[in-house]
Amino acid sequence: MLESLAISIVNAVPVLSGVPLWTITLLIMVVVAAIVLTFAMVYSGLATYVERKVAGDIQARVGPNRVGPVGLLQFLADGIKLLLKEDIIPAKADRFLFVLAPYLVFVGSFAAFVVVPFGVGLIASDLNIGIYYVMAITSLVVVGVMLAGWSSNNKWALLGGMRAAAQIVSYEIPVGMALLPAVLIAGSLSLQDIVRSQGGLFGIFGWNLFHNPFTFFSFFLYYVAALAETNRTPFDIPEAESELVSGYHVEYSGIRFAFFFLAEYGDMFIVSALAAACFLGGWHVPFLDAEALPAAWGNLFSLGVFLTKTLGLVLVMMWIRWTLPRLRVDQLMRMAWKYLVPLTFFNLLGVSLWLLLFHGKGIPQMMASFIG
Amino acid sequence: MKSHAEALPTQEMLINMGPQHPSTHGVLRVILRTDGEVVVNAKPDVGYLHRALEKIGERVTYAQYMPFTDRLDYLASMNCNAAWAWTVEKLAGIEVPERAEYIRVIVCELNRISSHLIAFGSFTADMGAFTPFLYAIRERERINDLFEDICGNRLTYNYVRIGGVSADLPDRFLEKTKEFLDYFEPKVPEYNKLISYNKIFVHRLANVAVATPEDAVGYGLTGPNLRGSGVPFDLRKNEPYSVYPKFDFDVCVGTGERGTLGDCFDRYMVRINEMKESVKILRQAIAQIPEGPVMAKVPRMFKPPVGEVYFRAENPRGETGIYLISDGTVNPYRLKIRAPSFVTMNIFEKITKGLMIADVVAVIGSFDIILPEIDR
Amino acid sequence: MGLKAYLYDIWEAVATTAKGMRITARYGMDPRETITLEYPEERWEPSERFRGFLYNDIKKCTSCTLCVRVCPVDCISLEAVRGADKKMVLASYDIDIGRCMYCGLCVEVCPPKSLKHTSGYEKASVDRGGLILHFVHEDAGEIKARVAKQVAEAAAKAEAEKAAKAAEEPSASGATPDDGSNEAPAGQPASPPAAAVNPARGGAAEKTPAEGAKEEGGKPEEPPKKGGVETP
Repeated sequence: MLESLAISIVNAVPVLSGVPLWTITLLIMVVVAAIVLTFAMVYSGLATYVERKVAGDIQARVGPNRVGPVGLLQFLADGIKLLLKEDIIPAKADRFLFVLAPYLVFVGSFAAFVVVPFGVGLIASDLNIGIYYVMAITSLVVVGVMLAGWSSNNKWALLGGMRAAAQIVSYEIPVGMALLPAVLIAGSLSLQDIVRSQGGLFGIFGWNLFHNPFTFFSFFLYYVAALAETNRTPFDIPEAESELVSGYHVEYSGIRFAFFFLAEYGDMFIVSALAAACFLGGWHVPFLDAEALPAAWGNLFSLGVFLTKTLGLVLVMMWIRWTLPRLRVDQLMRMAWKYLVPLTFFNLLGVSLWLLLFHGKGIPQMMASFIG
Repeated sequence: MKSHAEALPTQEMLINMGPQHPSTHGVLRVILRTDGEVVVNAKPDVGYLHRALEKIGERVTYAQYMPFTDRLDYLASMNCNAAWAWTVEKLAGIEVPERAEYIRVIVCELNRISSHLIAFGSFTADMGAFTPFLYAIRERERINDLFEDICGNRLTYNYVRIGGVSADLPDRFLEKTKEFLDYFEPKVPEYNKLISYNKIFVHRLANVAVATPEDAVGYGLTGPNLRGSGVPFDLRKNEPYSVYPKFDFDVCVGTGERGTLGDCFDRYMVRINEMKESVKILRQAIAQIPEGPVMAKVPRMFKPPVGEVYFRAENPRGETGIYLISDGTVNPYRLKIRAPSFVTMNIFEKITKGLMIADVVAVIGSFDIILPEIDR
Repeated sequence: MGLKAYLYDIWEAVATTAKGMRITARYGMDPRETITLEYPEERWEPSERFRGFLYNDIKKCTSCTLCVRVCPVDCISLEAVRGADKKMVLASYDIDIGRCMYCGLCVEVCPPKSLKHTSGYEKASVDRGGLILHFVHEDAGEIKARVAKQVAEAAAKAEAEKAAKAAEEPSASGATPDDGSNEAPAGQPASPPAAAVNPARGGAAEKTPAEGAKEEGGKPEEPPKKGGVETP
């Protein structure tokens, strides 16, 4: 895809014909990566602001309102503060791993943005193993978190790191199992294909959410498991500030801490984007086909739709966070292995049987063919 | 074949929880010996906030000690003020005007509500839900407003005096209190809906750190912690003082509704229910309060007779007992305070064995300890 | 655990969570539920009995030292000398609001009701000396010297009168008033100010009389904002 884009650019601008094609391709890659990274950073910054505003509203407070209009620039102020803070590395820490850990976490979370289908044509790289890639790359976070906990040479951090590892590894299974129905229906691992498979039928009834009862439950199972995978309340036991002070990143300060922080919000976006793409029809809206619009407008429109859905889910995560208490570590494990894993397997079986019995047709589709 | 433990030997880990830790409610230090997440032993180490309050008592006059009782249990200053006043009055045999006693009961019960609000809020915050804490603080602010009207301070009230109270109730105080009660009463069921019966919350507390009734009595638990174990002992009923016998209220006890009798959830629910009972007492007190003076005649150079006295009062955290020896001079000869939180820490080591680290936090929260009182 | 209990468990978790989320959503949506007072712009009205910073109206103060004696933390320091008309004259009256615990005992005992709690609660200082409120703005030493002079003058006058009255008895002479704090010989300037300054004032620089006079002429109802002392 990028190569064809490079060729078309060379064709359009004859001056570039002397430059080797691979440099142009590389340049485009860098630009795309920069755009995605900038988006991810700005989103993460704004998400921290929104999180605090939501917390404020729910808790009968105001929330940040001093920096800029209604406090909108608070995240910039926070970012600058974190940048300027003293970078402390504990004396007995394993320096190399201590420095490495935040990057692993950050990369693990932000590399996943590459395959997020933002719009009709807006995807940095439409990998044919999209979902698989996301699952794999976000697992990198575990390594970073473990390293952070271990290298800090702090017992609280170590406990937090171990908890995080146990939790994320356990919850990978229900997350993957809950996403599989969407893959089965679309017959592809590419996120863009999965989104495309949900079009038609007035836009909304094509969504996997309404495909059959099993996919309906699959969405909620996925959402709960994904909450746990992002270490959000009520599953924030690796951080658990009232038990472990702040878990694996207790010894981090300044920009290294900011990396963990940004990664958490990046993770929230990724899991919400996956939920939106796999169950809520991605950039599809009722009664309007974005693909039929002119390219520029279609892309812009579908981007808006996709972001609305994703950020809506992120908002619900925040709402949940400021309502619920947190589980204990053994209860968390019990929830994964006794509730989520069996239920997601059951759902997967149900969806498979459904597809086999009804030749891949969902309830809305069958009703549509029944009526018309 | 080697057993699992031999093949993979584990090592105990020693962790200091505190003195600076978000959920030790101040500067409590708990020395944890853990096997992974499981606590082998949790030993509380107190004394980081020791200010020699008992010794100070021997160096100041009886009236001067009143502001120091504010600092004994700063979330229930009014109760500590009143306990000190009742002790000295018992020693010197001072008759207190009835209106003053009613005012004391009103402020004590208001303070009990505000103290239990903090207990409820900080407990939920310990369990990871931060929002109820701020709701509790919001309600407490209104009580603080009332106290500011009545005595001018919002935390260390120093309102009660030996022989009465420092000033009569301000205008509209009783109406404002009624307004607050009308506002507050529907909030308690809301808390229950929001968090008390939340599945996660119940799971975190039920069957955790069970103090059997025998243990609770044996280790000297008092107040809500004792009643949480199902022992219906409340000094306001069992050893009535002041004008408490004139009021009709129930003693809340734990029932083991979600788990075992005497678990963290029972202790928590006792506090929630006691707030309702305090509202009941307050309504009766407001309806019955007589007119009259609020201060008995107490000489400025107050010298109680030679003798000793022990008085105990039902404070939000349990039984605050004050033992006082007078040698007939203006200063007490010896002052000893039985602080409920301090005594409560005795059972800590026993009931935290085999729990998880997160449960230790729950136990500290469910006992509703306060460090200035533990260390004095 | 049977299937029914298993499913009921899940249902209970979902239902109670939904209940809680409904409550938080209501608070989140309703702007009337916001209770924050945005402090520097909005302020709450302190109640009538509010115990803020202490203020002593030195014109009314009788230097009875009851407040000094009742203070549990000894944050009030007072110096007074007996004046020519046998009344006590305040030489210095300082309150260390860094130590004060706002218990209000001193206000309660004050016989002329000159000591009061104001509604002030905002103060910041970079050193502890700045937290000491001075209510007598002149230097203690100078006041003492002046009073001593007045006393001496009065004594001299009385003596002169006495001498004029009973000129035949020259033996009645030169008795200074019996006042412990007035050690200066009659008619001469008092002992050096450094010796008279209360040690509670710590490192605070001494004030020139001009400064003191200027501040005294300021707002009579409020305690001086800066504590009246510059840091050395």
